[in-house]
Amino acid sequence: MTSVLEFRNVGFAHGVQTIFDRLSFSIKQGETVALMGPNGIGKTTLLQLAAGLLRPAAGEILVQGRELKQWSRRQLSSCVALVPQSLEVPFAFRVEEIVAQGRVPHLRRLGGLCSNDIEAIENAMEAVDVTKMRNRVFSELSGGERQRVKIAIGLAQQPKIMLLDEPTQHLDLGRQIELMALLRRLVERGLTILAAVHDLALVRESCSSGIMLLPDAPAISGSLAELLRPDLLERAFSVEAAGLNRYLAREPLTMREDHPFSPGPDLADGNGKNQEWKGEWKELRDRLLRREQACRRWIRHPQKPHRGRFGEQE
Amino acid sequence: MTTRPRPKMFTTLAVPAVLLVVAVIASAGMGAVRLSSGAVLRALLHPSEAGETGIILFTLRLPRVLAAGLAGAALSATGVLFQGLFRNPLADPFVLGASGGAALGGAIAIFLVPALSFAGVGAIELLAFAGSLLAMAIVWSVAKSGGHFAMENMLLAGFAIGTMLNAATAALELRQEATNPGMRILAAWLHGEITVPSWMQISFIAVIEVAALILALPLARQLNALALSEEYAAQLGVRVERLQILVVVTGSILTALAVSLGGLIGFVGLLVPHFLRLIIGPDHFRLLPAAALSGAVFLIVADTIARTAFAPSEIPVGMLTAFLGGPAFLYLLKHRQWRSSR
Repeated sequence: MTSVLEFRNVGFAHGVQTIFDRLSFSIKQGETVALMGPNGIGKTTLLQLAAGLLRPAAGEILVQGRELKQWSRRQLSSCVALVPQSLEVPFAFRVEEIVAQGRVPHLRRLGGLCSNDIEAIENAMEAVDVTKMRNRVFSELSGGERQRVKIAIGLAQQPKIMLLDEPTQHLDLGRQIELMALLRRLVERGLTILAAVHDLALVRESCSSGIMLLPDAPAISGSLAELLRPDLLERAFSVEAAGLNRYLAREPLTMREDHPFSPGPDLADGNGKNQEWKGEWKELRDRLLRREQACRRWIRHPQKPHRGRFGEQE
Repeated sequence: MTTRPRPKMFTTLAVPAVLLVVAVIASAGMGAVRLSSGAVLRALLHPSEAGETGIILFTLRLPRVLAAGLAGAALSATGVLFQGLFRNPLADPFVLGASGGAALGGAIAIFLVPALSFAGVGAIELLAFAGSLLAMAIVWSVAKSGGHFAMENMLLAGFAIGTMLNAATAALELRQEATNPGMRILAAWLHGEITVPSWMQISFIAVIEVAALILALPLARQLNALALSEEYAAQLGVRVERLQILVVVTGSILTALAVSLGGLIGFVGLLVPHFLRLIIGPDHFRLLPAAALSGAVFLIVADTIARTAFAPSEIPVGMLTAFLGGPAFLYLLKHRQWRSSR
């Protein structure tokens, strides 16, 4: 496994305030890495550095083994997608027009959208289930809907690495589980994810490793077992260690058993209790199936062969 | 919620283009001596045989109609560019202090150096053009100091410089005798009166304007990405600072061109893009050419009303656009459900 994103002794400062000093970590292809740490520690700054929006003051950042300076801006944008925390759009842009912006790094100067672009946009919208609201005005969407549209922009970029800044913000419990399942599936398709997430229970369920930024101490990267230790979390968030034990021991949430998104029943399985899909649930199930297919179509050249969640061979 | 599909790009260009041709021909026929559309067309096709009609048409009517069209196109295209740049539908072509510079330039020309002229272009036009470019250059250099280019600084500096320059114009005006004939000229000019330009001036302006509009097209597409946010645009591979600089330069040149043709004409750059957004959506790439054509139609119609409705006297077209544009704009703002039903 090669490392797709690597920080080597990166230093960065906002004015006189040092944010990072000799920050080093490396992320391998196909990992889902959680970026954790208290507010204001520099999680967003780290993501912006990785996306090439900020220049490190010291050290180097490598994307797919090449130093960031050697990438052209457009090349980098079609390889690394940043999904920022908030998105406010003036004017009445519609959802599909917003998602189409994800194709900007792939367009020629005056060329319009070609069939590849349209396909990427459609798949991106389908994957996060916003196709239905494609003609709605973005600024009138709810927080959760906006969150999904933002991810659709990132998917339309068809990146290899996706940097998400608090992707579960504004999402209800069920949507959080759905989103994490979606990210898992994209990772199965070859995407690498670095996401700043605050909900440690969610991190534990859906990430493969993590980076913990600590105040007054060098950042630690490693497996979740190493990072989600009460003593470390106590240092990072100044909360009582005893309570953290209970917090981390929380049962993971799952969807109701009769919900199409429940991990139990197989969507493609026409037998047993799944036969009873009807009404609203049937519609939801069909949508999820379409979304599943969109996820499969999402990367044009899948990096690894994949046996679908529904038992269908690719 | 039901939404209408966006009209096709071809429609958004063809409809205003046809309207523009109709407006030019109809407007050229209107005035103290009425000409039928047929007569106008005949004179246009065979200029050598047109006789008296030709003289009226080619020395008076057409230059003025074209001047109105060019000014309207420049103002509303600049409106689209600056509104996209500032991510605010209320930004107008004069937001960067251009009007203050143009006003002072015009006032200096009228009171101090009325005899100045260059290549058939009069003192007012020349100094107004220079004044608005200079004002924007100052705003620009102030906003850029500190190495980083911040949009809010630009707006604040534009406001400050504009206010200072307007005060300077007022001071210059106060020092004049009330009987000075220049006072009336300045007033008309400040209220946006389109004069009859020379063909030299028209062709000069037309060439620069068309070039600026063509160069602005690729910028307009990037403005769509900028609408998400500066960070988002950068993330999508847009070189944001370069885009902002190019938009300011292009918009400044277009504004200065419009000012040199018709003084300070307000509301066109605000009203036309806003109205078009309701019909064809906010995509800047589609909006820019459509706004240029529609702005031309709008100002030709307005100027025709301004010069014929109160014959034999004329009112400045800027006054008319404010009179008609103000209420129209308020109406659009009040009926926001229009906005959400798109």
